[in-house]
Amino acid sequence: MYKISIEELKDKAYNIRRDLIELIYRAGSGHLDTSLSLVEVWLSIVHSDFYSLDAKNGEMKNRDRIFLSEGHACPVQYMINADLGYYPKEELLKGFRKPFSPFGGHTVRNLKYGFENSNGSLSIGVWQAYGNALETSNNVFCIAGDGEFQEPTSQGIFSVPLNLKPLGNFTLIINRNRLAQDSEVDLGPIKEVAALYNWQTMIVKGHDFNALGSALQLAVEDKDRPTLMICDTVKGYGGDPNHAGKLGHHGKPPGNDEEYQAYLAGLEAGRRN
Amino acid sequence: MEYTEKISLRVAFGKALVKAGETRTDMRVFDAGTKNSTMSLAFERAYPDRFYTAGINEPGMLGLATGLAMDGKPVVACDMSVFLHHAYAQIRAAVRQGKGLHMIIAATHTGIAVGPDGGSAHDITDLARMRLIPNMHVLTPVDGNQVNQAVQYALDNPGFYYIRLNRPAVPIFTDSDAPFEFAKAHHLADGNKITIVAAGDKAFTAMEAAEQLGDGVADVIGISTLEPLDTDAIIKSAEKTGRVITIEDHMYVGGLFESVAGVLARSRPTPMERIALGRILTTSGEPDELARIYKVDLQELVERCKQFIDG
Ligand SMILES: [Mg+2]
Repeated sequence: MYKISIEELKDKAYNIRRDLIELIYRAGSGHLDTSLSLVEVWLSIVHSDFYSLDAKNGEMKNRDRIFLSEGHACPVQYMINADLGYYPKEELLKGFRKPFSPFGGHTVRNLKYGFENSNGSLSIGVWQAYGNALETSNNVFCIAGDGEFQEPTSQGIFSVPLNLKPLGNFTLIINRNRLAQDSEVDLGPIKEVAALYNWQTMIVKGHDFNALGSALQLAVEDKDRPTLMICDTVKGYGGDPNHAGKLGHHGKPPGNDEEYQAYLAGLEAGRRN
Repeated sequence: MEYTEKISLRVAFGKALVKAGETRTDMRVFDAGTKNSTMSLAFERAYPDRFYTAGINEPGMLGLATGLAMDGKPVVACDMSVFLHHAYAQIRAAVRQGKGLHMIIAATHTGIAVGPDGGSAHDITDLARMRLIPNMHVLTPVDGNQVNQAVQYALDNPGFYYIRLNRPAVPIFTDSDAPFEFAKAHHLADGNKITIVAAGDKAFTAMEAAEQLGDGVADVIGISTLEPLDTDAIIKSAEKTGRVITIEDHMYVGGLFESVAGVLARSRPTPMERIALGRILTTSGEPDELARIYKVDLQELVERCKQFIDG
């Protein structure tokens, strides 16, 4: 299922979370809560057996691809790609959200660093990702938010098997943390709609490496249909338990040392469980 | 003015795509449910495996085309201009992917020349919108030959292009083998009293006006690349004539007039006049009828040139 053990994946998740908390606290801005909700999802994709990448040659022709459509989650992408060896972590810590650095407040396409797309307004990346998958035999994953599916243009993607063509190498992952920027959000019958348009659909525990690994395997094995993976996650997972899963923390970094320590304490408590 | 043939720029465009496809087997063409209007249908018939239709879905079409361009293919995304309003965020997001992409956005049915379909179908702000996007080259070929050459040029030189193509038949007056000279204006008539700067199909109107004004009166500059603009040609002509008038099938805001005015204000302040649409919502009518109503036709151009020279 994975190139490394579940224990190693859990260690990675812990380290990535710790580094994300520090990165965003020190920068004084950034979307920590969204990033924390995607740690296991992102690690699962890049460490899956099937996933093809070369951190020393990001432009490798036969690479699998992750498009990040909910661009505010880019810190998790930045941190995991550092861990994969695309660039030193120090470069990220120094450049995050700084002028002209490769690590801006939203992703700027940079294949050398493993950043497949410059993300734009919500919904745009979903379509770019599908277009990117049209003529390659490699796998294309697109990570989108649940709030992003309030955009009618996002919902339109489900009609592609009918209106364009079905692509077996495409997987859409919706990060269902049930929170958007200013309100709670419900995907409604999106899974049923996708199934009616002949997508393979699944609901997955988004912080469970075993569940994620098997779901991803099913996604890449279906060569005829695109796959919709709705990943149930908690916004702010593994951070301050008083913030996790609650409205009002979107894009808000720990504001002072006390809040920073609360995130770290939550992280440690989560590790012991 | 003498000419042997007329062709709609969109028809020339469809032919140019098919011709380019003979050698460019890597290019892909997208449309958003308007292939028999944009004439991308001709390409689909010739090379069905290299054509995608997104259905009536402009944002999706632009997103899909961008994604395939990110996979290394030169793409041409075609639509009726007014519908591309829906896809403005997607066009901006495409350009943000970086200069390595190769994308051509071809917009047909521009300006009031769309005519009887009415104001909701007239796109008189497309040039302004495209000029606002960094790295977007804005092309306004002047006749069918130049459409063919412009498509060829854009396919040979990676980058982002917007090509404006309107519907009515336009006389062909350039040589079929004259190359498309990117960012170079056409010097179409020689004169000393007034400079007429004309974009796209209005270049022919400007040449007709020059003929009516008499030998040596109007210096005519045809613009087939609006962005980046051939500033040298404009400044040089303004220095010679001392007065400049522009003509375009577009709102004056953000279009040819303001482009030229911006160049001259900075480098060579020169009295100017404009033949352009105001900040108006337009009505239905035959193209010629609308051009008369909104004072963007040959007759208006000739009269305004005379007044300007005498003034
Ligand atoms: Mg959400």
